[in-house]
Amino acid sequence: MADPLLEFFTVMDGQGGVVVKDPPKFDLDLYLQNYRGRTRFDRLYLIGRSSVPLCVDALKTAISEAKRGRDPQRYREVVECLRIAAPHDPESIYDQTWLENTEVSNRNETHRLTLELKGYKNNLIKESVRMGNEDLGKHLESIGDLNGAAEAYSKMRPDVSTPKHIVDVGKHLVRVSLQRREWGMVAAHMNKMGGNQSPEDEKLLQPYIKVVQGISYLGQERFLDAALSFLAADAAVPSASYNDVASQNDVAVYGGLLALASMDRKDLQTKVLDNSSFRQFLELEPHIRRAVTQFVNGRYSACIATLESYRPDYLLDIYLQRHIAKIYSEIRSKCIVQYLIPFSCVTLDTMNAAFGSLEKPIEEELVSMIRAGTLQARINTIDKLVTAVSVNPRQKLQASALETGQSYEKQAIDRLRRMALAAADLELKGQRKMTPHGMNVTSELMYDDSALE
Amino acid sequence: MDHCASVLLAFPEAKEITDNDVYHKAARQHVQKVERLIKENAATFGGLAAQLLEHVNPSINSISYLALLQTLLLRDKVPQTNQPLLSAITTFLMTFDPRQIRYVGAALSNLLALIGEGDLFPASVAVDLLATALLRIDPTGSMLTSHHISLVNLAYQTDNIEPIIPVIEKSIVFYPGMKGSSDSRHLCDMQLPPPAYITPETGLTAKLNSSSVLQYDLLCGLCFIARSSWQQAFDALERVISYPTKDGICSNIMAKAHSKWVLVGLLLTGKTPTVPTLAWQGPQKAYGTLGKPYTSIGTAFEQETAETLNAEFDTLGQQFWAEEGNLGLMRLVLAHYQRWKIVGLRDVYTKISLAQIRTLTQSAETGVPLATEAEVLELVLGMIRDGMLNGVVEQPEGQPAYLTFLSPTEELSEAEFGAKMLQTAQRIKNLEPVVKATNERLGTSREYLRYLVRDSKNKDKDVGRDPGFGGFDHSIEDEDLMSGVLGP
Repeated sequence: MADPLLEFFTVMDGQGGVVVKDPPKFDLDLYLQNYRGRTRFDRLYLIGRSSVPLCVDALKTAISEAKRGRDPQRYREVVECLRIAAPHDPESIYDQTWLENTEVSNRNETHRLTLELKGYKNNLIKESVRMGNEDLGKHLESIGDLNGAAEAYSKMRPDVSTPKHIVDVGKHLVRVSLQRREWGMVAAHMNKMGGNQSPEDEKLLQPYIKVVQGISYLGQERFLDAALSFLAADAAVPSASYNDVASQNDVAVYGGLLALASMDRKDLQTKVLDNSSFRQFLELEPHIRRAVTQFVNGRYSACIATLESYRPDYLLDIYLQRHIAKIYSEIRSKCIVQYLIPFSCVTLDTMNAAFGSLEKPIEEELVSMIRAGTLQARINTIDKLVTAVSVNPRQKLQASALETGQSYEKQAIDRLRRMALAAADLELKGQRKMTPHGMNVTSELMYDDSALE
Repeated sequence: MDHCASVLLAFPEAKEITDNDVYHKAARQHVQKVERLIKENAATFGGLAAQLLEHVNPSINSISYLALLQTLLLRDKVPQTNQPLLSAITTFLMTFDPRQIRYVGAALSNLLALIGEGDLFPASVAVDLLATALLRIDPTGSMLTSHHISLVNLAYQTDNIEPIIPVIEKSIVFYPGMKGSSDSRHLCDMQLPPPAYITPETGLTAKLNSSSVLQYDLLCGLCFIARSSWQQAFDALERVISYPTKDGICSNIMAKAHSKWVLVGLLLTGKTPTVPTLAWQGPQKAYGTLGKPYTSIGTAFEQETAETLNAEFDTLGQQFWAEEGNLGLMRLVLAHYQRWKIVGLRDVYTKISLAQIRTLTQSAETGVPLATEAEVLELVLGMIRDGMLNGVVEQPEGQPAYLTFLSPTEELSEAEFGAKMLQTAQRIKNLEPVVKATNERLGTSREYLRYLVRDSKNKDKDVGRDPGFGGFDHSIEDEDLMSGVLGP
């Protein structure tokens, strides 16, 4: 059993995937209960391909999930994976009859819906056309034709008649864009959704909008914007309104982690810990709250340790996976910077004890942080000290005053010189002649624009 | 002979002429008289000239002295062997009266050109003489003349750069042939700005074209490079690459200057310089294309390891750099790479052992770290000596040696700072006459006056315009009237 698994993950690693060896802290079934819709399969499939301990379980659940749906392509992909990871498992053999049946029924259904839609169009009944497009879109989405689905959904737009319809169109399109990982499109569709609704509906929709917005910002690596979006989500609305995208636990994790990566201590206190609405989310993920509290209280190494213990969990998250390394390293450098603030001088040994490990001494990390400009400090490798750089405002002022004077002088001379050159008619001029081919040729000078291209 | 001497010595009179009007007339008359004298006594004058030379004081009777020199030079087939004549020329150029010679500009120019050819004197003497003479003609040194160009050329070709430094250090802000430089004041007025008396008409300079101006700045740059004055070289080359151009063209000299400018910038700051915003669009494009090997050298220079730089140098090969005329500079760039990396360590460390320096930095000449710590020590000590690095190497007993970076610049005391600011202010103040001259020149130029006239006419129109229907009609003619009329 071990060998095929090893082989499978070697392949995954070769494809640039993330491989997580440590077992995560969550339970697969409980985790899955939080979601509905196609995201369930996507998540299972990702876990199956990334987590060594959960691989076979997740892939098998994914197979049954796929079989419950109507998307043959997904089924094929996941069975293919299982065949490498666990060749002897009975489920690793294609269910040919299911495949054929599904494909035939899919084709028939597509045909039927297209015909119906044509009929509606001929009758010129707007509402029917809209519903026909919606049905077709839903069908195409469920069989995995995301391009076709997006097209059908956007064709709904001309026939909308109520604010709710607009929201529906938006939600459909957002969902498809999320699956296709087109973050820019997500934001564009979100923008078209807002406004002209009754306040109650608006309120119901608020967390959905905030969560999706946050995810799209996260996809574009705009961590602060993403964090602010998640933090603004309303916890009072049941998660059913957005659990085809993310669960309440996810909101807590995304919001907390991104806030840690992008905010300072004061903002963390006011915007995260004192945020009564977000507190309800945080209660679902107490360790995130613990990490934020530890950071705010200045217990940086504890904060990092807490986060590190959950790293496997986050690496198995469909939206976080790609960004977790960056988010963690940003949190870490923030911890180091914050740690150094109250001191003018710290020994490298203390730093090592707080942040470093045996195999990875802190010094290299400090060097790269100083070079990148995130840390204002200098290292003394002889006495093993890290000293903070103090800025001398007086000296700065003096230097800048002198420099201003000098640059003024230089500019003045330069301008006078240019005026004189212009007056003496000494500008460099091309003596252009047109050749029969329409090329510009300068006689005395060596080349001109046309010669350069 | 006595008659000749009396004519020659007649000007200037014993008592000083303070009035410019009188001086102007007397000087012009004297020039004519001397010319006539030489013409009328053409047969005998040549023989007398050598004798007369002894009676005429070059610093007082400069016009007469120059005329004598000219006659002698014309007569002598091989003047380079005529020792008394050569020494007379030397004395004259070191002591002539700058006010008088404005009236005999052409003759002086001829003499300078003759020396500039380099046959009369050995190059080192010629360069020195020319530099002194040019600064005597125009002590501000702010005007470029045709002599400047031949002087710099001669100095650079013969490697006599030291004497011309005072000349090429001056910022040039005037050029021959500027429109509107004519001045109603007399030539002898010592308040005249240089462009008013150094003109092709007075003969003190010839007309210049753009490529000689470019060449002058490029040669200045090369001279400074030869002296390792990187800042000045950088400035001079920057003048070339930001030279005003029309029609989006770029000359060969500018492209050549750009390549050197990038390399000098690397030596000066350790970073690739950015093309000044004042540079024209066309040349900027050309630099992007033609300067590619140099910009990639620049990018490689900024990297943490020397490998890329070394590879960049080797792939193009020594021959390429030699053909470009930049092999010497490139070698310096390679040599300076490690130095700049060590200077860069200052931003990270306060104290660092030499062993660590050895592993952290590499020599771009070989692409690998230095072989021994002793070499590192030598390099670091050299940098401290050159003033490139502000630090000390310490070697405690029984422990490895280390380098301590001292804090960059100590805070200046109020007095020091004040003095420095005063200096800067003074330098800016020194520009005042130039600004004034430029302002006068531009203020009286034809284009500006035409503009003023048009402007005042327009103003009159505005005032006189009928505020009634005509004005209304005028103000709405750009609007789309149809939209309001035909809209829903």
